[in-house]
Amino acid sequence: MKKKTRTRMAKLFPFLTVILVLAALFLLASCEKDIREGADLSVMGRKSDVEKSYMTAIFEHYEKSTGKKLHIISVPDDEFETKAAEMFKKGEGPDILMHFNNAELQRFDIENDFMFLDGEEWVSDLTDGAKAYCLDADGNLLGLPFWESSISGCYYNKTLLDSLGLKPATTQAEFDMLCRALSDIGYTPICWAADGCTWMFQFGLDPIFADDPELLEKLNANEIGYSDIPEVEAMVRWIREAAEKGWFGQNYQKTDWNGISAAMSSGDAVMTFIWDTWFYTDFTPGKYTLEDFALMPVFMNTVDGGTYEGGNLNMMMVNKNSDRRELALEFLSFCATPENYNVAFDGISTVSSFRGQTTNIQSHMVTSAAASIAENERVSTAASKIIGYSADDMEDAFARLFRGKLDDAGCVKLMDEMRLGRAKSRSAPE
Amino acid sequence: MKRWLGKIVPVFLLTAVAVSAVLIGAVYYNFMSQKIYEDSTGYLSEIYGQVNRSFATFVEKNWGVLDGWNGYISSCSDSEAEKFLKNRQEYWGFSEFYFLAADKSYITPDGKTGQMQLDDTWDDLVTGGEPVMISEKLADGQDTVVFAVPSEHGEYKGTEFDAIAVSYTNAALAESLNVDAFSGNAKCFIIRNDGDVLLSTQAGGSVFGNYLVYLRAASDLGEENISAMEADWKNGESGLLRCEIGGVSHCLLYQPVGYRDFYLLSSVPQSAVSAGFLSVQNTTMLVLAIIFTLVGATVIAVVIVRSRRQSRINKTELQYRERMFDVLSNSVDDIFIMLDSEKQTVDYISPNIERLLGITLQEARGNIRVLEKCAVNYNVIFPRSELEAIPLNGNRYWECEYMHQSTGERRWYRMTIYRMEIGGVRKYIVVMSDRTLDQQMNQKLREALDAAKSANEAKSNFLSNMSHDIRTPMNAIVGFSVLLEKDAEDPERVKEYTRKIMASSHHLLSLINDVLDMSKIESGKTSLNIDRFSLPELLEELNIILMPQARAKAQSFTIHVNGAPPELILGDKLRLNQILINLLSNAVKYTPEGGEIEFTVSTLPSPSPQYARLRFAVRDNGIGMSEEFQQQVFLPFSREINSVTNKIQGTGLGMAITKNLVDLMGGIINVQSAPGKGSTFTVELTFSLPDKEEEEQWYRRKVTRILAADDEEDVCLNIREALNGSGVDVTTVTDGASAVELALAAHGKGRDYDIILLDWKMPEMDGVETARRIRDGVGKDIPILVLTSYDWTEIETEARRAGINAFMPKPFFASTFWHTVKPFFISHSEGAVKEADEGESPLSGKLFLVAEDNELNAEILTEMLGIEGAECNLTSNGLEAAEKFISTEPGHYDMILMDVQMPVMNGYDATRKIRASSHPEAKTIPIVAMTANTFAEDVRDAFDAGMNGHLAKPIDMNAVRELVGRILDERGKG
Repeated sequence: MKKKTRTRMAKLFPFLTVILVLAALFLLASCEKDIREGADLSVMGRKSDVEKSYMTAIFEHYEKSTGKKLHIISVPDDEFETKAAEMFKKGEGPDILMHFNNAELQRFDIENDFMFLDGEEWVSDLTDGAKAYCLDADGNLLGLPFWESSISGCYYNKTLLDSLGLKPATTQAEFDMLCRALSDIGYTPICWAADGCTWMFQFGLDPIFADDPELLEKLNANEIGYSDIPEVEAMVRWIREAAEKGWFGQNYQKTDWNGISAAMSSGDAVMTFIWDTWFYTDFTPGKYTLEDFALMPVFMNTVDGGTYEGGNLNMMMVNKNSDRRELALEFLSFCATPENYNVAFDGISTVSSFRGQTTNIQSHMVTSAAASIAENERVSTAASKIIGYSADDMEDAFARLFRGKLDDAGCVKLMDEMRLGRAKSRSAPE
Repeated sequence: MKRWLGKIVPVFLLTAVAVSAVLIGAVYYNFMSQKIYEDSTGYLSEIYGQVNRSFATFVEKNWGVLDGWNGYISSCSDSEAEKFLKNRQEYWGFSEFYFLAADKSYITPDGKTGQMQLDDTWDDLVTGGEPVMISEKLADGQDTVVFAVPSEHGEYKGTEFDAIAVSYTNAALAESLNVDAFSGNAKCFIIRNDGDVLLSTQAGGSVFGNYLVYLRAASDLGEENISAMEADWKNGESGLLRCEIGGVSHCLLYQPVGYRDFYLLSSVPQSAVSAGFLSVQNTTMLVLAIIFTLVGATVIAVVIVRSRRQSRINKTELQYRERMFDVLSNSVDDIFIMLDSEKQTVDYISPNIERLLGITLQEARGNIRVLEKCAVNYNVIFPRSELEAIPLNGNRYWECEYMHQSTGERRWYRMTIYRMEIGGVRKYIVVMSDRTLDQQMNQKLREALDAAKSANEAKSNFLSNMSHDIRTPMNAIVGFSVLLEKDAEDPERVKEYTRKIMASSHHLLSLINDVLDMSKIESGKTSLNIDRFSLPELLEELNIILMPQARAKAQSFTIHVNGAPPELILGDKLRLNQILINLLSNAVKYTPEGGEIEFTVSTLPSPSPQYARLRFAVRDNGIGMSEEFQQQVFLPFSREINSVTNKIQGTGLGMAITKNLVDLMGGIINVQSAPGKGSTFTVELTFSLPDKEEEEQWYRRKVTRILAADDEEDVCLNIREALNGSGVDVTTVTDGASAVELALAAHGKGRDYDIILLDWKMPEMDGVETARRIRDGVGKDIPILVLTSYDWTEIETEARRAGINAFMPKPFFASTFWHTVKPFFISHSEGAVKEADEGESPLSGKLFLVAEDNELNAEILTEMLGIEGAECNLTSNGLEAAEKFISTEPGHYDMILMDVQMPVMNGYDATRKIRASSHPEAKTIPIVAMTANTFAEDVRDAFDAGMNGHLAKPIDMNAVRELVGRILDERGKG
């Protein structure tokens, strides 16, 4: 039996050797493909990111305008973070990396892997919100924001409010008064979709950590927890009390994503915490249409003047160790030029990241609240920068709070436990 | 009625007092509320009047100080002005100071610039030179109130200005106005007369844009009220309104500020306005409520205590009554139940139900429907539909029969159900009156009535039947007697008439006997005369009686025995004989010529060795009976009427007597029959057995081995079984030749059989021939008996000639066997004497003393005795007979024939007198009753009186010969 096996192996050996050699050559050829095919720059990003219409538009526009060739490295979404980090670790990173300024960025050696871009000319053209999003903890500009964006805040039925002799709130106290006044009249002040609409909690947490980056750093370093931050429990308490007072209506625990549009368009609910592009993608006009709505800050008892959450922006970051970093910087400048980005974002519904952005579609709600947004906008911080933060966990904790299974402190404690659980699973510092 | 009033009046009074108290409280409360509202609104007006005045003063002061500062600011340097204004800000508490330019732009002391709206007030300010007050939302988004006055044209930090102003934030203004009345629950606004809110004193800001619009949406004020208020505002009027906002009652107070169209509007919750007054009111109400509560509680406590005491008394009384009722109901047979009308649950049930119906109290209380188990004539008791049909305070009754669950005793009740209302609850009270005694009495009466009717009917029927049945033979007797007299000279006709007269007489006698027998049995006067008797003898007698009758009709009559029935049993042989003769006679009577009659005796399993249970079956293949007639075959005078039976003579009492006798003996009788196919009557009786020793005396003979020959193996088996255990070695063969061979062989060996039994009718070699050959070989010493179920008289001569010593009837019984062979083992002299006596009447030469009061009977008897060669002396009563006997010498009379019913002294007493006399033969002289009293009791009475025998009238000379012969024979043996 053994002898027979050996005889077969001896016959197969040359054949297997040839296959292995060919495979190795194929892999080598793949790695060096961009160079051998004459690509000038490599841009790496998630598959879903690099295929956005405005991204493909700017890539094509660049290649057409400059005659240079880009090698777009499209990585499946679920492999992206791991693969990108490994490549940079091995010194094989692309010239330009597309990445969000979120907690995942900590996988990289930011200071040594990427160039700080504060000195670039186009920086002054960035809106305050866009620029703020791209800064690291030390205030260094990490990349060029080139992405669609929206403004999250408290969108309210202005027509309805005017008809009731009421006006939008500018402070937490006024917001509470407004809710009470609306509730007295019989309206549901806030459309709160507790079933599956998990984004609302981060609006309240953003100001806490955006206004105090040190607090975020300590939280992520596990030096403190949510329980050590009074504003977190203040937010939990306010949400619970609002629910108990009926400010979220009677069926808020069953209301889901699909229920928001109906409640808002019918006028049953007067306000909701959402983002502007939602009105273009998911809102179905009813008794009230898009024109009836306006924007004011979100008030969740964490900051007196309320807050807006700026959009999550994908940044184009330059590989500090690339031989072609100058060309990469030139590519970024190309993208940040008004005539180029207006080509790319032509007809795209988004909040402007550049001051000279003119071809994108921007809602009247955002435009009319520009002053308030300028004063109260905060970078999306909680969802993207708190390690272990999970919107689903928040929903779970609050669901128990709403059902009376937990008190305020218990809810905060559970939020902390779940955050730490996820942080540990991602090997975050303990 | 009085009791009802006694309960209702206190309740009514209490209710009236409580209602009055509540009404007084409500009136007082309303009065107080109105008073409090008036006072509190007055208080509110007063407060906000002060606020309004304060505000006006505040406005005036601000304008005043601005006017005052105007000159100084214009004259000093910018730095001095800035320092001055900072100082004034700290003192006055305003939020900001503004230098206003003609283009409505401003610059603050610290150099901040901005733009004011100022709307339509600018002209008033600059052109009109009037101070103004305006609400402004500044660049920082805060709502402020700006007070401005025109100033001299000047310049501050390079900016020209024509007016100066100070601003206050809402919070600062509220603080300045110090409107903190009503615990912060009040909202205070400065509004325009169109409702636009200029400023609010609320901490934290304001969300009210136009309060008039808000009130329209949020309050319960109708448009009329709002329009009226709006008109007030246009006209500069003050006012106070009460409305609900968000479900809370509010007081709305509006007063013109006195500047332009500005109004001071305050909105205060009613509860806050009246809080102080309400506190007093509430305290008063609380005190009153406590007082009322205490008084009420005291009253209730007293009532409860009294009620409980009364309840205890009532409960005790109730228990006492219930207990007494229990005791009472236990002593009667009536049952009492109280049911809830809705649920039909048991509230009460008298405890005697367990005794009367065998149902436990727990069972009955658990579910009253348990009574249905006992009900005989109802499946459902207390049917809801019928109960509900009973009107209130009405009742309904049912007659019910119940059966005791344990004993099965039947009881009858009249169940009366009353529907009534007790304490407002509907109840059913069920009274089950025991009617058992009544029912039983009625039953007895009914039965007695039925019996009387039946008896009357029976009597009528009897008389009718008897009239017919007696007249028929009597007609023959009378008729043939007439013919006899007429044809006395013709011996042939005399014989013929005499024979017919005798036949009719016998039938008439038989009829009279049956009637009397039946009458005796049915009257319950019949008793059994239990004595030991031999079953084989009984069967032999039956065979003797029935065989001739069967032979006369060419019928085959066979007797079979299954198993080994006991030979001696204890019973009334006479009655058993009567039963079987009745059945067998009927079988012969109702079976056509050439038919078969089979009589089978079988042993049945017996419950005890001291008893034997026998089945006597009489089967024939005669005319049979219809199904209908079988139902009444045992009724008196019942005879099936058809062409065959009409020709057969009978009284119709035989089967009734038979049935009654079987019943009397504790047995059962059945009949299976079909018309044309015959009938089978089966009688099953249980007999006591005599002691074993008595049986064993039969086995003292010196018979050790016998030879039996019968072609029927069953007969051989019967012989072996019958003698099993008797110590006799039985050898059986099934043909004559074998019997001869065995007998000769035994004789050759010197071991002859003690007895040889031979069947008469065997194939090839019959019993006679076999006996002849055996006798030829073994000599005359061995007794040879022939076993036959036939009448052996035909062959007796030939058989005796062939050497046969005796005959034995089939079936084989050991006792018959021993009885038959007995003479062969005793002295020949006895047999010789017996044989010598045969052929002569035992009455011949005897002298009888006859006691007979009836001359005719006496004459007949004298003649008959004379025919027999005997003589008699007649006496006419018992006393005469006794005295005559006592006076005679011993040996004078051979026997006394004594009538029983006689004048002066009856036969029994006369016998006793004789027996008691000193006559030497007083104890031994045979006395035989000769009477028409023929029942077993009469026989027993005769023996009890000391008689030796009993002869029934009319006198049958054969019976006289047999009895007298036997008695004299026994007397002769000594």
